[in-house]
Amino acid sequence: MAEDVKKDLTAEEIWTTEEGERRSIGVIHIVITALLIGIGFVVGAFGSISFPLGFGVNFFWTGIVVQQVGAIWFGAWGVIAGAVFPFFSNAIAGTPFYVSLAYIPANAIQAFLPAWVFRRFKLDPRLKSGKDYLYLFLTMVVSSILGALWSVLVVLKGFDLLTTDSVPLFIWGWFGGNVVAGLVFNFILMKALSGVVIRTTAFVKKWWA
Amino acid sequence: MNKTLLGYVPNESPIYAVHPFVKLYFLLVVSLFPMFVSAPDWNIILMVFIILLMWISKVNMSTLKIYVPVAISMGTIIFLSYTVMGGTHPEFELLARIWGINFYWERIRDALVVYFRVLPMIFTMVFFLSTSRERDIIVAMRSIKVPFVVTYVFAMALRSAGMVLEDFGIVRQAEQARGFDPAGKSIPYKIRQYVMYMVPLFALSLRRSEEFTNALVARGYAFTGKISRVKRADFILTHYTYKYFDYIFIALISISFILLLVFRYGYGNFQVDQSWLMGLLRSAVS
Amino acid sequence: MNVSKVIEIQDYSWKYINTRVPAIRGINLSIEEGSFVGVIGPNGAGKTTLAYSIDGLIPGQYNGVKKGTVKVFGKEVEEYAKGELQQLVGVVFSDPEAQFTAMTVEDELVFGMENIGLSLTEIKERLEWVTELTDLSHLLMKPPYEISGGQKQRVALAAVLSMRPKILVLDEPTSMLDPVSRERIFGVLAKLKEEENNTIIAIEHSLENLVPLADQMVLLSEGELILHDETQPFFQQSRLLLEKGVFPPGAMLFFHELREKGLYQGRYPLTVAEGVQLLRGLKG
Repeated sequence: MAEDVKKDLTAEEIWTTEEGERRSIGVIHIVITALLIGIGFVVGAFGSISFPLGFGVNFFWTGIVVQQVGAIWFGAWGVIAGAVFPFFSNAIAGTPFYVSLAYIPANAIQAFLPAWVFRRFKLDPRLKSGKDYLYLFLTMVVSSILGALWSVLVVLKGFDLLTTDSVPLFIWGWFGGNVVAGLVFNFILMKALSGVVIRTTAFVKKWWA
Repeated sequence: MNKTLLGYVPNESPIYAVHPFVKLYFLLVVSLFPMFVSAPDWNIILMVFIILLMWISKVNMSTLKIYVPVAISMGTIIFLSYTVMGGTHPEFELLARIWGINFYWERIRDALVVYFRVLPMIFTMVFFLSTSRERDIIVAMRSIKVPFVVTYVFAMALRSAGMVLEDFGIVRQAEQARGFDPAGKSIPYKIRQYVMYMVPLFALSLRRSEEFTNALVARGYAFTGKISRVKRADFILTHYTYKYFDYIFIALISISFILLLVFRYGYGNFQVDQSWLMGLLRSAVS
Repeated sequence: MNVSKVIEIQDYSWKYINTRVPAIRGINLSIEEGSFVGVIGPNGAGKTTLAYSIDGLIPGQYNGVKKGTVKVFGKEVEEYAKGELQQLVGVVFSDPEAQFTAMTVEDELVFGMENIGLSLTEIKERLEWVTELTDLSHLLMKPPYEISGGQKQRVALAAVLSMRPKILVLDEPTSMLDPVSRERIFGVLAKLKEEENNTIIAIEHSLENLVPLADQMVLLSEGELILHDETQPFFQQSRLLLEKGVFPPGAMLFFHELREKGLYQGRYPLTVAEGVQLLRGLKG
């Protein structure tokens, strides 16, 4: 194939559909969703098995990178994958079926929020400015808090798997496990690959295409 | 031998005579049982029953060894949650106070109830995963008319997970060939190693997405448009027919669940205060 | 006999987005029904781009700038509805691994047929036909990623053939195979040519197997169509082929060298067997 011409896009241009540009849902998006679920399954299971706290809560959950970076790059498809793959990785790691199922909203919000923030504020997925880094960090924190609250208060308490007194430990465990892993992986992955991803047909500018 | 999601099961295993839907139904319904049962005795019986089913199905019982650390760590977490982090409760019966930590009978009892609720749920999942081939899950989903795109994404995801594991091995070898060997190194070093693997793994998967997409499109698959609404023949289902014992199993599972609910809510059975095991334990500690 | 043109490419150029130079430009090519066309050229010549353009993968799955027309059975590729063109044009890619998403070989073969809405009866019939043609009956229940490279490529070929496309495009189908497996693939193609009258376009580097089957040859280089002719006259221009980085089959090359040294003036043989015949004739 002929060599690439390095035309540098601005953050605004990355998220804006050009005049005359037609984008539509295609098979590529189904494939990307499946591949993200597959990667997340492996990566998430690694975190769940290596650093377990209990019931799918982990001290260092590597799956967060697939959830959040996948959703930033691929919009709703990444959110779907991010919500679904932990179900499988938790299942392999020994989390009960209905507990894993009930975690889906927590995982969905952890994927959705970064994707929304990047689109809403037209941030650069290549992390070119301090603002991009800051917003990514903040969205990681907020989404993990929301995820932790749902998972622990609604799921674990709802299934009576924890006492009220131990709830803070699990909230911190879920939150910390996500944020620490996110700090380690999200920035590096986005910096390394966003430049390539945004030029592919799989990249999603709006939510579905 | 047939490869299942958690290992291998011999071809002659009786589990393959059962329609995949029955296995899925078993997972979905029997996973609910412990949620309505407080008495650990019954949950232990359920657990033993599932282990027996695994043995009858000729599952390699060493698969269960993988989950021993999970069971231990989970038990520890539950125990700690209900005791060390159980707080101060004067209304409970204090059994002992060790290093400033109160050990209440009610907390220990509740911890055991929870633990023996979760264990059979895990066993049910392990039974399903160790007796189901990837194809079985697809068939089970198609049997209950799950949309094709969902089952196909699931199948592709499983395939993708396998490829990611292969890629991981290849990338690891490539890194080691360049002198990056994590053996005997510290945790931060290993985390750095993991980060270095993550980027090429993602890059490989992204490149693969283009190839897969071309292959799917070239075989007439479309997600939108008229062709996507074509009625699929579901050829895979022609290999699986329901036999009389499948209906019997489905009926037995359903009736068991209904009876469970009737006895639990109608007659107040399966409660923790009816548990002879708890009674035994209570006598031992008091 | 009036043979219709199934593929008509006129003044066709394609430039991938964010590239400076078109991958292919000014291509004019017509292919008649039932012909076997070999496409050769060095790496980067635009062969794959051409293959994808015939199947509608370009511009369907790729962003870029298209000029000119690519018509299949008289209709521009972009005018076909989703999935319609793929029933007429089947593509086999070079990496069989990247084409497999099913659990078993059988599922892989059946996938395309289900996509186009065939009935169970039709699927069973075609499955039987294609497994016999490609000798895959004993592999049907195996996962496609657990079989050998040659078997994989036969599965990829069978999966496309089961849809019974009128045109078959093969993009370096034997590049990852050993010589024995390569021969088997070409054996299938030979059978197809003889029995089914498919139009076949094969992009290949392995000319030893391609040349005996091809009715016509096309040479691409740096995105341009340099030469298109029937196989025999095509290879008479061996000097041009060598200049463009394409090495003719051994027997042909031998006779080309003889001609270059003024020792031989006749036509080049396409195969070793033909070469032996020619030598016998010369000796006589």
